[in-house]
Amino acid sequence: MLEKGKISAIQLIILLYPTITATAILVLPATTGSFAKQDMWLSPIWASTFGYLSIFIAYALHKYYPQKTLIEYSEKIVGMIPGKLIGFGFLFFLLHTNGMNLRDYGEFVVGNFLQKTPIIVVVLSMAFVCAITVYGGIEVLARSSQFFFPVFVVLFLFIIVLLIPVLNPKNILPVMGEGLTPSIKGALIPSQWFNEFILISFLLPYLNKKKNAFKWGVLSVSLVMITLVITNLFSLLLFGDITSYFTYPFMDAARYISIADFLQHVELIVMALWVTGMFIKISVFYYAIVLGTAQWLGLTSYRPIVFPIGFLLVVLSIWVTPNLQKLTEFSSTTWPVYAFVFQMFIPVSLLLIAMLRKKKSN
Amino acid sequence: MSWKILKSKKKKKNAAPKPLSNQKQEQSSLFTSVKENEKEFRSIYSDCSDFILRPFLIGGKYDAILLYIEGLSNTDEIDDSVLSPLMEKNENQNDIQIGSLVKSQVAVSDVKELQTFEDCIQAISSGNPIVLVDKYKTGFSLGLTKWEKRSIEPPEAEKVIRGPREGFVETLAVNTSMIRRQIRSPKLKMQSMEIGKYTKTKVIITYIDGIVDHTLVEEVKNRLKRIDIDGILDSGVIEEFIEDHPYSPFPQMLDTERPDTVSGNLLEGRAAILVDGSPFALIVPTTFYSFLQSNEDYYSRFLIATAIRWLRFIFIIISLLLPSLYVALLTFHQEMIPTALLISMAASREQVPFPAIVEVFIMEITFEALREAGLRLPKQVGSAVSIVGALVIGEAAVSAGIVSAPMVIVVAITGIASFTVPRYSAAIAIRMIRFPLVLLAGTLGLLGVMLGLIMIIVHMSTLRSFGVPYLSPMAPMKLSEMKDTMMRAPWWKLNTRPHLTGDYNKYRQSPEQKPGPNKGKQ
Repeated sequence: MLEKGKISAIQLIILLYPTITATAILVLPATTGSFAKQDMWLSPIWASTFGYLSIFIAYALHKYYPQKTLIEYSEKIVGMIPGKLIGFGFLFFLLHTNGMNLRDYGEFVVGNFLQKTPIIVVVLSMAFVCAITVYGGIEVLARSSQFFFPVFVVLFLFIIVLLIPVLNPKNILPVMGEGLTPSIKGALIPSQWFNEFILISFLLPYLNKKKNAFKWGVLSVSLVMITLVITNLFSLLLFGDITSYFTYPFMDAARYISIADFLQHVELIVMALWVTGMFIKISVFYYAIVLGTAQWLGLTSYRPIVFPIGFLLVVLSIWVTPNLQKLTEFSSTTWPVYAFVFQMFIPVSLLLIAMLRKKKSN
Repeated sequence: MSWKILKSKKKKKNAAPKPLSNQKQEQSSLFTSVKENEKEFRSIYSDCSDFILRPFLIGGKYDAILLYIEGLSNTDEIDDSVLSPLMEKNENQNDIQIGSLVKSQVAVSDVKELQTFEDCIQAISSGNPIVLVDKYKTGFSLGLTKWEKRSIEPPEAEKVIRGPREGFVETLAVNTSMIRRQIRSPKLKMQSMEIGKYTKTKVIITYIDGIVDHTLVEEVKNRLKRIDIDGILDSGVIEEFIEDHPYSPFPQMLDTERPDTVSGNLLEGRAAILVDGSPFALIVPTTFYSFLQSNEDYYSRFLIATAIRWLRFIFIIISLLLPSLYVALLTFHQEMIPTALLISMAASREQVPFPAIVEVFIMEITFEALREAGLRLPKQVGSAVSIVGALVIGEAAVSAGIVSAPMVIVVAITGIASFTVPRYSAAIAIRMIRFPLVLLAGTLGLLGVMLGLIMIIVHMSTLRSFGVPYLSPMAPMKLSEMKDTMMRAPWWKLNTRPHLTGDYNKYRQSPEQKPGPNKGKQ
């Protein structure tokens, strides 16, 4: 095996939780709000079904091929050449998505905090930090995210608790005034974020105790869902209908915090939250790409390609979009379909074929 | 990383120097004739004025020589228990074997028979006098070692208010005896080896059989065996040869002057390395949290100890981050500072000609210089330095408008905060890391600080000390061990030992020992 490290079930959750929530907490209220209006807090619940499905698929495939990642078993399932093609497509998708993640991060930092800094500096510094982490292997990735996970949670709770005094509970009404349709429509984009849980297929082979892998995965999805419901609910209660007009509603919510004229402008805490979350998210994607590429090419070690792929990520983050508006448009129109193909359609078909093959051989 | 590959290539180009100890030492056995032996020893110890060779006659008949090094052996004892009984004329000695004669006449408890010159030289250099007798191929080494040594004093670097006050000294035998006095079980093992071609320094690996993981002891021994050097003068030299990550700023072994720290760690299943001539023992494996713990935590009340630990955590973060946060806030994120505070800060910075980052560097480097100067100076001069430091740097620099008053406060708090770390080696690592963090803060603001922090944590996650992850039990998380890291649970709750590597002896005491008035009545 390329990766000799092992991670524990808790580390698995801790790797996956920020991977999904990091982007979601900032952007989700705006994207769901435009479809679901005051029912937007329901959307993550519907969307999470895709998360559970992803975990189920990844776990079922993992049962057939316990020592292999998606890139490896796709070759086993559909044969050498189609398998390689699927692998390439999947890796390209991950690379592209991670480029978008990196750009997302850069746009946020440059747009809100470091207006005069060139985005390439911001992106490059993050990519460098992630590259060092990925170079260290899955154990280092897991340990450092384990260290930052409490920070992430504490900062999140800090902001949530401080927001309580400025909330307006009436904003939530009427609940399901137009039936279920708006909230389900709002769930379409987040569903693809939940589908990113398919990344678990790159981590499952390295779990030290496989017994409760599925249970932990489900717990992870539930935690993400709860976090996103809280985020949406708080943005809704604070801003009401206008939530969808903000680019980063959660960030603007944090600007409302003012305790005793002393604790104010805590949006820097949101940045700290976002940087730690994005660090884990980009690193997990990055790790999946590097590991997958090494397996796809049949390399003996993934370490030599860490830095080259890092450079590719940096340039991709620049190529992927000319500006933030295009990026937002792309990620709310084209990306969900594009992501669905790779994160849902391909794994489901792989699972079906694997099941058929199993039946045949029996 | 490609530069690593480059480096390894470079290494191959340089022809490796020949290992020292592979030049085989020939074992030459002693001569039968005492004259020849005398000649040989005189040539070995030529130009050694401290070497003493005393020819004498046993019972007035048999030629013999006594060899020792001045100052390493107890001359009174040599005169009383060796020379005078042997030189005494006794008519009945004719038929007796000289070997047994030496044994029966010499009133010394530790007598060893040596066959080779090398063994004799070693015995002489460690202070054991040698007696060689004519027509007899065996030398007798007598355990009469005695040299001047420092008396046991309270450890300078690790002072406590409550707890044992004795510290290690430079003499290995005294140090081992201090540990042995605390752990009396024969399960306390001490394996010794010699390192250093010229210094022949005795190094002892100590552990408790039944608690320690034996693969750890083997690993320590293997790493020590690989050391090939001319001399070891302190355990610090050994530390650099056996650590896992030589390029890391963080210490990966706990160095301590306190026997109770060593004993406590041995009881937790670690091993200690004691080096002759060094009052510092090395403890392996070590995690980062061990550097943030003081002995006293275990002797004072657990609630207080927990509170003190948290105070340390907070101040470690302050010592690492305060200067960089100051720079980041003042340069990039002024809006974060409450308005009233910002106005007073701006007012005091009005006269200052430097940007915040330059100011921080000037002050922090001056502070480090003051600390370093104060460390080495004799006490009489030390007070002068502190006056200069306090007056010139504190007061005068502010009123001259070179630095701002808040900056002085920041530097002072950072300085004090860094001294709350109980271990000097860890404190200095944290202090050095804050300089790159200040640079990052000056270039990328709070984002730079965040990235720097992430880098530090990632680096610490890659570290291992003898197989144990450096950040454990935080990452990887071991909830059962949090009782002795995030807090200090009461002793009657510390039932299990921390798990280091491999198999381990889990329980250290019987459960349910919580005291109370009704305890044991029922």
